[in-house]
Amino acid sequence: MATRALDPRSLVREGEVHRSVYTDPDIFTLEMERVFGRAWLYLAHDSELPEPGDYVVRHMGTQAVILTRGKDGAIETIFNRCTHRGATLCAFDKGSAPHGHQCPYHGWTFNADGTVRFVSHPTNYSGVLDPADYAIRRVRTESYRGFVFGNLAGDDGPALLDFLGHMKSTIDDLVDRSPTGQIEVGKYQLRHYYRANWKMTFENLNDTIHPGFAHSASVVSAKAVVADVGADKVVPTVGMMLANGKPIQFFQDIDMVTTPGGHSYIGGHMGAGYTPDTADEYTRGLIAHHGEEKAREVLSLDRHLMLLYPSSFWHARYQTIRIMRPVRHDLTEMIGFTFRLVGAPEETHVNAIEYCTGANSAASPVIADDLEIYERCLLGNQYGPREWIPMSRGIREDRARDNALTRSPATSEAFIRNQFAAWSDYMGRAT
Amino acid sequence: MIEIVRELIEREAGLLDDRHYEEWLAMFTPDCLYWVPVSPDMAGPREGPSHFRDDRQIMAVRTHRLANPRAFGAEPSPRTVHVISGIRIEREDADEVVAVSSQIMLEYRNRDRFEDDQRLFGGRVRHRFRRTGGGLLIAEKRVDLINANAAFNAMAAPL
Repeated sequence: MATRALDPRSLVREGEVHRSVYTDPDIFTLEMERVFGRAWLYLAHDSELPEPGDYVVRHMGTQAVILTRGKDGAIETIFNRCTHRGATLCAFDKGSAPHGHQCPYHGWTFNADGTVRFVSHPTNYSGVLDPADYAIRRVRTESYRGFVFGNLAGDDGPALLDFLGHMKSTIDDLVDRSPTGQIEVGKYQLRHYYRANWKMTFENLNDTIHPGFAHSASVVSAKAVVADVGADKVVPTVGMMLANGKPIQFFQDIDMVTTPGGHSYIGGHMGAGYTPDTADEYTRGLIAHHGEEKAREVLSLDRHLMLLYPSSFWHARYQTIRIMRPVRHDLTEMIGFTFRLVGAPEETHVNAIEYCTGANSAASPVIADDLEIYERCLLGNQYGPREWIPMSRGIREDRARDNALTRSPATSEAFIRNQFAAWSDYMGRAT
Repeated sequence: MIEIVRELIEREAGLLDDRHYEEWLAMFTPDCLYWVPVSPDMAGPREGPSHFRDDRQIMAVRTHRLANPRAFGAEPSPRTVHVISGIRIEREDADEVVAVSSQIMLEYRNRDRFEDDQRLFGGRVRHRFRRTGGGLLIAEKRVDLINANAAFNAMAAPL
């Protein structure tokens, strides 16, 4: 399809979107440049890089980058690519390189900030090539409360806090749940992938109408087993499946919040608690840290997922962040991280681990159904005369609107329209 | 003992392949763990998220769901065959017998996607059997896939 010649903004109308945004490889290529090349992307947490020289490899769109803690303690982000012949520098997800990143091919070595530390056999280059011209591209990096973000647009992009806007309150929510103010990333990550477009996840995770249909089999099975074992014996994972069986009116009554930039969240609805002992100990710790009033405020905030467009999903109550990695227009990876609330009872982390397993494992009955649906939508959107996909559900139902945010019923597709408003804005700007 | 254990491990895999899930569940203790970790370094399922981290209740929901025609992620149902090799007893005492084996599971779901419809899973499996009045029951089945840390597409059939 000759979409390159098209203005991508013409693919988004009020209440509908053209199906090629999910199926066209050229659109995907343009998204990598204009959306993932401009938005702030969550990359890592401070606690993943405790010592100078520690590094992790992450992706910004399809570009692999290395985040390294430098000698001065600052975290630097550079492309994972040698400036000599282009070979990948780091083959591992994480490690320690206190003496710089050395290319396996000819041994060129780079500092955390991408400057050249060493070029092999430099006499050959005398008067020919200046190593200072061969620094690896450094990515603008900023962090908020320990969460490190990168922006490929460099100084052309907004400040991180402007990008986050109201959504920084979800990051606050996550950190404020710690009775010491400290959180620490869990050691293990959980990944799944699917053969469909990255936007499918963004349009599915806070869609409250699909669970009653797509996940009905797990609801039926969970109810059957609960009838057997007794409602007081339900384990959290099965509780999660049951939550998908709530009546639609329940979600109609909950708020969805959308903000500029394509971000959104909906109100909490899973309502899982801790055991009484843990809840008491945890609450005491939180009061000791924040004082009574602030602690109650923290505990009373009940939000489901925050979708931070275009690359991450945050659940503060369950201390889980998922990073979405677009690989191709028809291939997407999701990477789940849990966080430990330092000083909180161990059960709080186990609770996060159970949530992450249920929400991000390819073997989770809920996720398996979602992945199947994403792939069926990709197949269905490749052919046939119907080219426009409606996203008009609830378009006349917005509840409140100001500069910072819009409130709609959680059953609305307002979050999808909001994502495509941001998409259209990113994609419409050529430079 | 090795012959008893071999028979049990082969029977367990065979029940999965034949989708006889109620009989499969009956091979496990009430407090069992069915576990597929994301790393062979994990000492227990409380250390991090897992691919499968099932107690008896989750196993019951999972297998009940596989029998439901509206379970889209398993529609049509996957067919599997397990190949088991190298069974050996790692530990044996008055209460328990622990056996390890190498296993490969071939899985097929007809989704009109040619070779993508068939997948291979493989790795080291550890069965921890408990001696009970009714013979050996599985207290824990741990599957360490060789690509445990990788991203997976939907997995409907238990490994």
